[in-house]
Amino acid sequence: MNATRRALFGAAAAAALGAAAPALGQDGRSDSEILEELLALESRLESAYEAALRREAIDAGLGELLRDQEREHIRGLEQSLGTLGERSPRATVPPPELGTALRSRAAFARFALDLEAQAVSAYVKAAAEIRRPGLRRPLGSIMACEAAHEVALRAAAGLPLLAGTGGRE
Amino acid sequence: MAAGVTRRAALGGGAALVLASCGGGDPPPSDGPRPGSGAGLLGSLLALERAVIAAYSASAAVLGGEALRLSREIRAREEDHVRRLEQAIRDLGGDPPPGRAASEYERTFPRLNAEADALRFLEDLEERQVRAYLEALAELPELELRTMASEIGADEGEQLAVVRVLGGGPASPHPFETGAL
Repeated sequence: MNATRRALFGAAAAAALGAAAPALGQDGRSDSEILEELLALESRLESAYEAALRREAIDAGLGELLRDQEREHIRGLEQSLGTLGERSPRATVPPPELGTALRSRAAFARFALDLEAQAVSAYVKAAAEIRRPGLRRPLGSIMACEAAHEVALRAAAGLPLLAGTGGRE
Repeated sequence: MAAGVTRRAALGGGAALVLASCGGGDPPPSDGPRPGSGAGLLGSLLALERAVIAAYSASAAVLGGEALRLSREIRAREEDHVRRLEQAIRDLGGDPPPGRAASEYERTFPRLNAEADALRFLEDLEERQVRAYLEALAELPELELRTMASEIGADEGEQLAVVRVLGGGPASPHPFETGAL
C-alpha cells in the first residue's frame, strides 16, 4: 500500500472515532478486540506465505503478492488500532499444521485456502459488527481482497475457481 | 494499447450507464418501511443486482467454455442475492420494486462483440457491486442487514476475482478491493 492509501486508512479510522460508539459490539467484543482478532489472522497468513516462499511451497510471484497484500492489511489494522489508542497484540504462534503443509505445493494451497476462508468469515462478521461505521467499509475492502485471494489460490492449484453456487449465507 | 484503453473506457462507460439507469426507472419501494430502515438502500442494491443478472444473460451470447460455465454459476448466485434482498425488504414491511424486461436493460449495455468485451463489462459491473455493498455496510442501521450486505459483498469480491482471472488478469491486483478506503 502506498503512503496515500495508508494515510486514507488512518483517515477512515480517525473519522470513525469522531462518531460516538458504544464500547462493546453485538457479541460483547469491543472494536479493539475485533481488530486484534483480525490482526492475529492476518499475521498467521503473512507468516504462512513467508514460510511457503522460503520452502518453495508456493509459486514465488503469487506468494510474494499475497504476502505483501497481507502486510498491507496488517499495517492498516495496526494503524486503526493505534488510532483507537490500543497497542498491537503480540505475534501469534504458527499453527502446527503449517509444517505438514509446507511439504508440497498442493498441501500448502489447501492449507492457505483454509486460512483465507477463516479470514473471509472473520471479516464478514467484523465488517457488520464493528460499532464505528467509518471502519466498516475499510474492513469490507480487505474482506473482498481475501475472497480474491481464495480465487488466486484455487487458480494456482487447478481447483474450480468458485467454491459453489450457493454463496455465503 | 491506446485502442484497448479506449475500448475499456467505453465498456466502463457502459457499466456507468447501466448503473445510472438501473434504478432511475424502477418504481420506488412501497411506503411501508419506516424512514431510515434501510429499505430504500436495499432497493437500490436490488436494482443493481437485476441489471447485473441481465448483463450475464446478455454476455452468454459471446462467452464460451469455462467462461460461459462460470458466468452461469455467478448468475445463479446473483439470483440468490436478489431473493435475499427481496425478502429483507419484505421483512421491513416494504414491497420489493419490480424489475424490468431484459430488453430494457440490454438497451443500456455496450456492444459486446467478443468474449473479452463481455468480461471487461462484467468486471466493471462486479467492481461496482462490491463498492455498493461496502458503502451499504456503513449505512444500514441493523446488524442483521449489515451481515447480509457483508456476506453478499464477500461473494461479489470472489466473483470479481473469477471474472478477472477469466479475462487473463490477476485475481487480486489491490490489497484494498475497489480502493474503498
